[in-house]
Amino acid sequence: MSMQRATATMDADVLIVGTGAGGATTAAILAEAGLDVLLVEEGDWVEQGAVVPFSLDQMDRQYRSGGVTVALGMPSIAYTEGCCAGGGTEVNSGLYWRPPGELLARWREQFDISDFDPDDLLAIADEVEADISVSTVPGGHTSPSEVLRRGADALGWRNGEIPRWMKYPPSKLASEPRSAVGERQSMTRTYLPRAMKAGARLALRCRVDRLVTNAGSARSAVTTLGDGSRGEITFRDVFVCGGAIQSPALLQRSGIRGHIGRTLAVHPTVKLAARFADALNVPDDVPVHQVKEFAPHLSFGGSASNPGLVALALLDQWATFKHAITQWRNISVYYAAITSEGRGRVRSLPGLKDPLVTYGLTHRDRELLRSGLGRLALLMLEAGATDVYPSFKGAPVVRNRRDLATMQGAFTAARASVMTVHLCSTVPMGEIEGKCGADSFGRVHGCRNIYVNDASLLPTAPGVNPQASVMAVAIRNARRFLDAGGCRG
Amino acid sequence: MQWLMRPVPALPIIGSFADRLLLADLPDLPPSDRRLAVDFVAHRVDNLPSFTRFGVMVLGFVFRGLLAVPGGFGVAKVLVKLPLPLVAEYPRLIRSLAFAYVWETWPNTTATGAKVAATA
Repeated sequence: MSMQRATATMDADVLIVGTGAGGATTAAILAEAGLDVLLVEEGDWVEQGAVVPFSLDQMDRQYRSGGVTVALGMPSIAYTEGCCAGGGTEVNSGLYWRPPGELLARWREQFDISDFDPDDLLAIADEVEADISVSTVPGGHTSPSEVLRRGADALGWRNGEIPRWMKYPPSKLASEPRSAVGERQSMTRTYLPRAMKAGARLALRCRVDRLVTNAGSARSAVTTLGDGSRGEITFRDVFVCGGAIQSPALLQRSGIRGHIGRTLAVHPTVKLAARFADALNVPDDVPVHQVKEFAPHLSFGGSASNPGLVALALLDQWATFKHAITQWRNISVYYAAITSEGRGRVRSLPGLKDPLVTYGLTHRDRELLRSGLGRLALLMLEAGATDVYPSFKGAPVVRNRRDLATMQGAFTAARASVMTVHLCSTVPMGEIEGKCGADSFGRVHGCRNIYVNDASLLPTAPGVNPQASVMAVAIRNARRFLDAGGCRG
Repeated sequence: MQWLMRPVPALPIIGSFADRLLLADLPDLPPSDRRLAVDFVAHRVDNLPSFTRFGVMVLGFVFRGLLAVPGGFGVAKVLVKLPLPLVAEYPRLIRSLAFAYVWETWPNTTATGAKVAATA
């Protein structure tokens, strides 16, 4: 593998900024076609197993700003971004949802995306699923996962196990048949080694501050290296794959405006902690079941629930919830996620290293969050929860159906801890320049050799985990780049 | 504005308020552990994105000033309960970081911050 220390001057045919689901797949496709590819990553390479999943240590080493990032608004929405080799694929839940065909067709129509055949995308999804070993858990499910299944079954709500990009070594399954024994097939295990085997170079701890542009073309990038020194990378083409926050921010810092960073879309979520008679907490894994009865508008699933995160779930109403913390082994945290009609913005401000991110929920979003939390609490009661602790200020403990009405009456989104992990749509793809930042294949409108190839391109939030959509679109665009004679044009 | 972004460490600005807040929430947390939690919070604030850090540091200055006057902490507690955007976010950020640290580091901590022996 060709991992190299970033140096003051570097060059390549193709520079790829970012190593997550978009950047790693792009690098593999282009390097295997024989192009000279340089990947740069702001974070470090962290081997799997070097950090405990969902721990503060992981947040320090693999998340941007230690995992403390927020889109300002009423309420503000906490979000996280991976900042390491492999990006978000190293730190997310690993749950896989292929893009719904009808959604792809809707994107094509509403954003006028050329040659965007859902069948082609789904064929690429087939490849991806083989490459990253998408599979269900061969052994039993964890107790927090069974809670979702049990509660949904009792209510007659549609639910199921979501496959993950995991390999399950038989030797481990024999001794511990739980989902936690899986080995995550993230980008550092799959597409990044593949890209480097084909000759791509990877430079770590290298931040691209801006692209130097002239009349719609970029020929070099100004960088800051891990030791704080400045550097420069020259290239013929550049793919910006830093994710839905960093990609538009980099374009804006480079003087590229257009429809960039104006339509941030997320899946806002609200949470609750549910307490059961028996111990069930699994600190280092998340449930694989999700409830999709009300999808795509509303979905339920399970969150990471180590003791620190249980304390966080109880924090908003600590005065009355705090005594539950000593029972954290009997508690697991769950979420209700919505597809939002609100939109956010990413703005690079002069003199500031990081962009300002804002997001506004609509009235419909707030009502959906309220009803979602109520239904999730009902599901928990049906699953056998003795106490349900909703995460908002002024929340009551919910122990029966009568308490549900009280809870929903007390809920306002402004009092809730709203968060999200799915960020997209800040450089939407399509031919309508008034609503799209990039063309049908990711080339930034008005630019000759600057491409975006990550979650920023998805025209809207897909209502499911977006990684599969990101990977399919990125592979499609990389192949199109080659077909169009990329780097030789 | 730039001088609030990076060079000024957060600990001297937010440390005293964070310490008082934790003392009120978790009175039985040993002082040495509380100090570790406050250090952790300050470290995280040091690494916040620029704009957020600016806001937190401004609020930190205001609250530090309040603590310097008699009865200031009581005023601060009232202030954070008012429906003022961002002002209420400041103590919430501190408590979130501190609580996550305390219970991840010492899972057998009680609701008041006391340590209990781990049970098998």
